[in-house]
Amino acid sequence: MFKWLPASKNHSFIVNLCAFCTTLLLLVLLSLLAFVFTKGSGYFLSPPVYQVSYKDDNGKQHIVFAQFPSGYSENFSGRVTASTENTIYQAQLPLHSRQISNIEKRSDVANISLIDGRKLFAVPQHIRSSKDLKVSLSELDKYLNIIDDIREEIDEIKQNELTEIDKILASVDKSSPSINPIQQSALLKYQSLQKTIAELENKRDTFSLNMADVKGESIAIVLADIHSISFPSNMTWIGKIKHAFNLLWLFLSENPKQSNTAGGIFPALFGTVVMVLLMTLIVAPFGVLSAVYIHEYAPNNLLVTAMRVCISNMAAVPAIVYGVFGLGFLVYVVGGNIDALFFSDALPAPTMGAPSIFWASVTMALLTLPVVIVATDEGLNRVPQGLRKGSYALGATKSETIWYTVLPIASPSIITGIILAIARAAGEVAPLMLLGAVRFAPQLPVDSEFPFVHLERQFMHLGVFIYDGAFSTQINPQGASMMFATCSLLLLVVLFLNIVAVTLRARLRERYQ
Amino acid sequence: MHDFENVTNNIGDITFMLKLFNYDKPNVYQLSDEQTAIKVNNLNLSFGEKPVLRDINLRIPKHQITAFIGQSGCGKSTLLGCFNRMNELATDCKVSGEVFINKRNINSKKENVSRLRASVGMVFQKPNPFPMNIYDNVSYGLRLQGLKERRKMDDAVERALVDAALWEEVKDRLFEPASILSGGQQQRLVIARALALEPEILLLDEPTSALDPLTTLIIEELMVELKKRCTVIIVTHNMQQASRVSDYTAFMHQGEVVEFSDSDTLFTMPQKKKTEDYITGRYG
Repeated sequence: MFKWLPASKNHSFIVNLCAFCTTLLLLVLLSLLAFVFTKGSGYFLSPPVYQVSYKDDNGKQHIVFAQFPSGYSENFSGRVTASTENTIYQAQLPLHSRQISNIEKRSDVANISLIDGRKLFAVPQHIRSSKDLKVSLSELDKYLNIIDDIREEIDEIKQNELTEIDKILASVDKSSPSINPIQQSALLKYQSLQKTIAELENKRDTFSLNMADVKGESIAIVLADIHSISFPSNMTWIGKIKHAFNLLWLFLSENPKQSNTAGGIFPALFGTVVMVLLMTLIVAPFGVLSAVYIHEYAPNNLLVTAMRVCISNMAAVPAIVYGVFGLGFLVYVVGGNIDALFFSDALPAPTMGAPSIFWASVTMALLTLPVVIVATDEGLNRVPQGLRKGSYALGATKSETIWYTVLPIASPSIITGIILAIARAAGEVAPLMLLGAVRFAPQLPVDSEFPFVHLERQFMHLGVFIYDGAFSTQINPQGASMMFATCSLLLLVVLFLNIVAVTLRARLRERYQ
Repeated sequence: MHDFENVTNNIGDITFMLKLFNYDKPNVYQLSDEQTAIKVNNLNLSFGEKPVLRDINLRIPKHQITAFIGQSGCGKSTLLGCFNRMNELATDCKVSGEVFINKRNINSKKENVSRLRASVGMVFQKPNPFPMNIYDNVSYGLRLQGLKERRKMDDAVERALVDAALWEEVKDRLFEPASILSGGQQQRLVIARALALEPEILLLDEPTSALDPLTTLIIEELMVELKKRCTVIIVTHNMQQASRVSDYTAFMHQGEVVEFSDSDTLFTMPQKKKTEDYITGRYG
C-alpha cells in the first residue's frame, strides 16, 4: 500500500530524515535565542573606546572616538558607535578595518550619558564651579551628589507643595468673578515657591564639566544635564559587570528617551504586566465558568456540540480580526454608549469611547477565551466518574460536588489554560496597536493618583515597542540594540510565565493525584 | 457425676450452636414495620426503553446484613442505587413505585435527596477516596452538612475511623494524602467517610471485588461489626462471601427478585429451580 514510501525498503532512511528535521528545528530555535540574546546583551556591555583615524570613500581623513560592538578585531566590518568631528553626540558609523589608518585605545575617554538619553565620547578635563574655580576630576562624585540633592529638593517641592496649591486653586469656584482670600494666599505661596525653585535651579546649573572632544577642542556641559560617566577602556572585569547590572537596572526602571532608542523600557514592561493581569481577571472566571456550564450542565444536544466546535475554532481566528472587532464594536459602540450614559459631562471628549488599556484587555480576553475553555473542558473530562459518585453519595449537591471535588481535580488543567492564555497575550501585538498601545504614553495605567487604576488610559506594551523599534531602526540604527534587548526581555517574561505554569501544575498534580 | 457434667456441657453446646445458627431469624415476608429498614412496593425502573427492574416488592430487615446475588446485569446494583436515588444521575432513568425508609417514600418529589444520601451511605466497587488528605476525606460529608466546630469534627473523624477499623493504621498520618493508602485501606477509608455521617443504612456495591483475599476478610469482619450500628446491604458476585457474612440473601434474575430468605435457607434449601441452578454453579 505504501510502496512509494522509501521506508518500506529502507527503514533507516526515514528515521534519519526525522532526526534531520528535528535537528534542524533545534538549530533554528537555538540560533534564534542566541541571536536575540547576543544582540540584546550589546545594550549592557561596555567594550573599550578607541581613537580611530580612517579615510572615507572620498579619501578624506577623519578622526573619531569609536566603540566596536564586541571589541576591535583585525578584519572588522560593520557599524561602530562613534563621536565624530561633526557631532560630539554618539552616532552609528559604518566602518571597515581596511579604511583604518591608525587605531589607539584611549583609557581617558569617558562615555558620558546625558539626562535626555543622548550619549557622547569625550575626555573630561576639569569641573568648573560657581566662582569660576577649577576643581579636579577626582571630586566629580562629590559634585554629582550635591546636584542630586538639589534635584531631590526641587522634586519634593514640586510634588508635595505645588500639587497641594493646585488642588486648592482647582477647588475654587471659577464662576465667581472676585478672587477670594484663600485663592489669593495660595497664589502668593505659589509665586514664592516658584522663586525658590528658580533659585535652586540656578544653583544647580552653576556647575559644569569641561571636556575635550575628538579634535581636542574644549566644550562645557552643565553638570546637571549629565546622567552618568563611565570610562569603558579603563574598567576591570568586576567594574564591567557592575556597569552592566547598573545599565540593566536602568533599562528596567527608566522611561524611554530619544524616541524609544535609549533609556529604559519600564512603562512598556509595566503596561504589559497590567494589561495581562487585567486580561487574566477577565478571562479566568469567564472561561472556567463557561467551560463548567458546557461540560456539567448543558444538555448534550446538537447546539452544544456545535458550540464546542465553534469555540475550538475561535482560537484560529487571526488576532487582527479581534483587534478590528474590539475597535469597531467594543470601543466605539459599547464604549461610546457608556460615555453617553455615564460620562455625558465630558462629551465630546471620550472617556471610555477611545482605545485604552481596558478595551485592550477585554479584547485580549476574548482572543484567549477559547484556550481557557478548551483546557478546562479537557480537565473536567479527566475527572473520574467514581469521584463524582462518591461525592454525591455523601449528600453533596451538584454544585457542591463541582466546587469541592471536580474543580480542584481539574485545577492543573485550568491553570495550564490560563498560563497559555497569558503567554499568548503577552506576545500578541496586532490587536493592541488598534486598541490603545502607543509608542509613548505619558502616564502609567496605575499610579498614586486617585482612583489609582486608570482603565481609560493608553499604555505601552513590549510587543508594540519592539514592533515600533524594528521600523525605526531602519532609519536610526542606534535603537537596534535596545530593540534586541527588549526582545530578550519579552522572551524572558514568557519563559518565566511558562516556568511558573509548569511548577504550579506539577504542585497541583501532586496535591490532587 | 462425671457423666452428668458432660451432659450439661453438651446441652450448653447445643444451645450455643442453636444461637450460632440463629434460628430465631424472622421470615423476611413476615417482618413487622419495626423490624423493617426499607420497604419496597411495586418498584419498576428503566433506563431509556430498557426495563431493568420489574415489579420489586420486598422488605429489608433492620440491623442485619442483606446480600443481593445474581448474574451481571440482573439489576442488583440498580436496586441498591434505588435506596439512595443514585440512579437519577443517569438522565434517561425512569422510576415508578415506592421505596419507604423510616415511613417516608423517598421516591416522592418532596424528598430532600442530599439528606437522604447523607443518611444512606454508599461504598463502591473501586475505592474512590477524594484527592485530599485522610482527615479531609472523612470530614467531607460533615463539612457539607455545615459542621464547622473543629473539636466536634475531630471527634467524629476519629470515631468513624475507629468504626471502620482504620484508626490504628492512620492515626499518625491523618494529614497525608489518601492516595498513599493501600487498596484495602482506601476502601475502609471510604467506609469511614460514609460512617462519619452516622447513616442508618450502608449500601456496599461489590466492596471487595477489587481487593485481595486477606483484605476481603478484613472488610467482611468489619461488615459484621457494622451491623450493630446500621443496616448493611451488600451486592456481591462472590457466593461464599454472601453465605459467610449475610443474614439474608436475595437472588435476582433479569430484574426480578426470584427468591429472598435468610441465607442459611437460601444456600442450603433453595425453593426455586433458578436459585438452585445459580448457587450450584450450573449457570451464571
